[in-house]
Amino acid sequence: MKHPLRKVLSLTLAAVTAVSMSVTAFADEPYDSYNYDNWQDAVPSQSAYMVEKTVTGKEMKLDRLSTPGDELYISENASASLSDSKDMCVDKKRKELWIADTGNNRILRLNAETFEVTGCYYSVANSSADNFNVPLGIYVSDSEELGQQVVYIADSENFRVVKAIVKDAKTLECVIEYTHPQDPLYTANTFIPKKVLADRAENVYAIVNSVNSGSCIFSREGKFKGFYGANRVAVTAAVIAQRIWRAIASEAQLEGMTRNVPIEYTNFDIDEDGFIYTVSEIANETRTDSVKKLNPAGYNIWNNAKGNEYIFGDMQGQQWDPVARKNHQSVLTDVDIGDGGLINVLDFETGRVFQYDKECNLICIFGTKNSTADQRGAMANPFAVESFGSRVFVLDAAKSKCDITVFEVTQFGRYLHDAFSLYDDGRYVEAKAAWDQVIKRDGGYTLAYVGLGKAALNSEEYSKALKYFKTAYDQDDYDKAFKYAREAFLRDHFVAIIVIIGLLIALLIVKNILKKKGIKLIKPKTKLATSGAARARARKAVKDEED
Amino acid sequence: MYEFTPMGWVKHVVFHPVEGFEDLRWKKQGSMKIALVIVFLLFVVMVADRQLTGFQFNTAYVKVFNVIPLLVQSVVYFFTWVIGNWALCTLFDGEGTLKKICIYSAYALVPYIFCSALSIFISNFIVQEERIWMTAIYYLGLIWSVVLMIQAMKAVHQYSFPKTIVSMIFTLVAMLLILFLAILLLSLFQQLYVFGYSIYTEISYRIRG
Repeated sequence: MKHPLRKVLSLTLAAVTAVSMSVTAFADEPYDSYNYDNWQDAVPSQSAYMVEKTVTGKEMKLDRLSTPGDELYISENASASLSDSKDMCVDKKRKELWIADTGNNRILRLNAETFEVTGCYYSVANSSADNFNVPLGIYVSDSEELGQQVVYIADSENFRVVKAIVKDAKTLECVIEYTHPQDPLYTANTFIPKKVLADRAENVYAIVNSVNSGSCIFSREGKFKGFYGANRVAVTAAVIAQRIWRAIASEAQLEGMTRNVPIEYTNFDIDEDGFIYTVSEIANETRTDSVKKLNPAGYNIWNNAKGNEYIFGDMQGQQWDPVARKNHQSVLTDVDIGDGGLINVLDFETGRVFQYDKECNLICIFGTKNSTADQRGAMANPFAVESFGSRVFVLDAAKSKCDITVFEVTQFGRYLHDAFSLYDDGRYVEAKAAWDQVIKRDGGYTLAYVGLGKAALNSEEYSKALKYFKTAYDQDDYDKAFKYAREAFLRDHFVAIIVIIGLLIALLIVKNILKKKGIKLIKPKTKLATSGAARARARKAVKDEED
Repeated sequence: MYEFTPMGWVKHVVFHPVEGFEDLRWKKQGSMKIALVIVFLLFVVMVADRQLTGFQFNTAYVKVFNVIPLLVQSVVYFFTWVIGNWALCTLFDGEGTLKKICIYSAYALVPYIFCSALSIFISNFIVQEERIWMTAIYYLGLIWSVVLMIQAMKAVHQYSFPKTIVSMIFTLVAMLLILFLAILLLSLFQQLYVFGYSIYTEISYRIRG
């Protein structure tokens, strides 16, 4: 090692090795991306989203709240971190992210791009309660009537939903409060709102604790209007048995029986067209009702009874997780409708976000869970999901480490979104380029083959379409393509087919005529000869031999 | 009265469900070779059903192909039927010998095999809307075979019709019993094997050590 050049060389080599190793160890998520094929088997896939960063109170600059002299200064002991936060909402127009910081009894307003705090609210001016008390839900929208931004807060322990306008970075002013409905329809003793939503007409929807007939609707003026979009009772053996018992039970017995009530949905979101999407925690018992898209009358548009099959969350029901050593049962906890109708569904149990297109095709799955949440991309108690632009935020409400995980779409995901948006519009041929890019990155992506197959079918390349559908194992579309392919085949070869059939008929006729006249084209064996002429000929042959 | 080749006899019994088997018995015809070929064809048609049915109709899980269940469902089931029927009917005044039961049962399967093959064939040319043709042909074969099987059992044992039906139902029970015992025996032998093997390893370790 005397030579200086050698020294330099070995040093550089060591440095290069170190750098390259650290790079390979860096670029990965703490989980393996997967997707489902047409057999509903999990297959490995590429990551459509990757963790960009984790945003905690520090990144949000929440210490400004307790820094005297700062414009956001609240008090010396204002917490500089999130605590047990349960809900978020994005105002897409103003690029704001609102968080219900439940444990700290406050509402935070962040810049949705930099995640820096721009507002902090502990109370609503001119309202019945002094401070927020366990605010569980938040919704932000624009009021056409007031012509400005309004915030709806489900202030659970103050038993109210409050609608407020934003005065400045520290003050909200009350517009109206929605409290315990004094209505014979409302039978619950308490009014503990958990989540809140408002439609374009500013009707307010509130999911209320222990009310299972749907969410409460209030008119803009604060009048209770009824319930909306209840789940159905899942038909299980126990329910059927009870139905029978109820039919024969006496009045006294009936009183003692528990009633079959549907599962209340846990969360909802509203899309640009005003459809409300709900999500219920028990996905496997009520597969249809786990995620619903409700029309204004409160009926589910995605109804499995109408022929399609909509499945949300993990497809195979209970799944054994060898790492956690337990069975997973999807607990879908939040739904978010993103740009272009993308549906993000968050599974509390596995910490996974399932992204669907507006026709409920599964696009991708990302995120995972571990108990400590000390890995980027792993959540401990994921409670809320929101999307903004190409990013998806997951709010992790662990007691000690409450943070937001920010997922950014990858190139693969971008191609997927392009492809799906064209595919859903029925522009199959235009989607072809995007599907090709998808397949380049993930050759096992089932829906890409369906998309390519439909493109081929639309451009009348039937054999190609059949091949693609076969690859995707999409029998229904294959059947459709086969029908067209068969028609085309018959059309193209019509003359040949007619000629062949004609020839066959002619052959049959000729054969019959020959049989009638007793002419045999092939000389039969003597033994089996039956017709008179043949027998005569056979006799003659025998005679000849004797001669 | 009837002079047929062995294959001619097969054709005769298939197309004369009422008297075919009686004729077969009267003329002391029926070939064991042909019967075995028919059973083999049953197996072939089962494999074909899984592998060659048109894509739009094929519900089989294509990721794995295991021939053993198909073999069991065709060949093993058939011989269990034969043995079960023979064991039962010898006790109940049946006149059939094991060989005859085997031959007659196999002959009765011909329509099922033929119609299955035909329905598999046409499934490659039709779409799901026209599925009824496939189903119709398949069930035609199945029902025809069931009728032939009843007639075959009736002829081979010289039973009355009700007795035939009862004997066939009990044959199914006997089949279940045989298969149950077979599985029991199999697992027993497996344990015996494991036991023997562990003794062997134990001894071999001792000798080495």
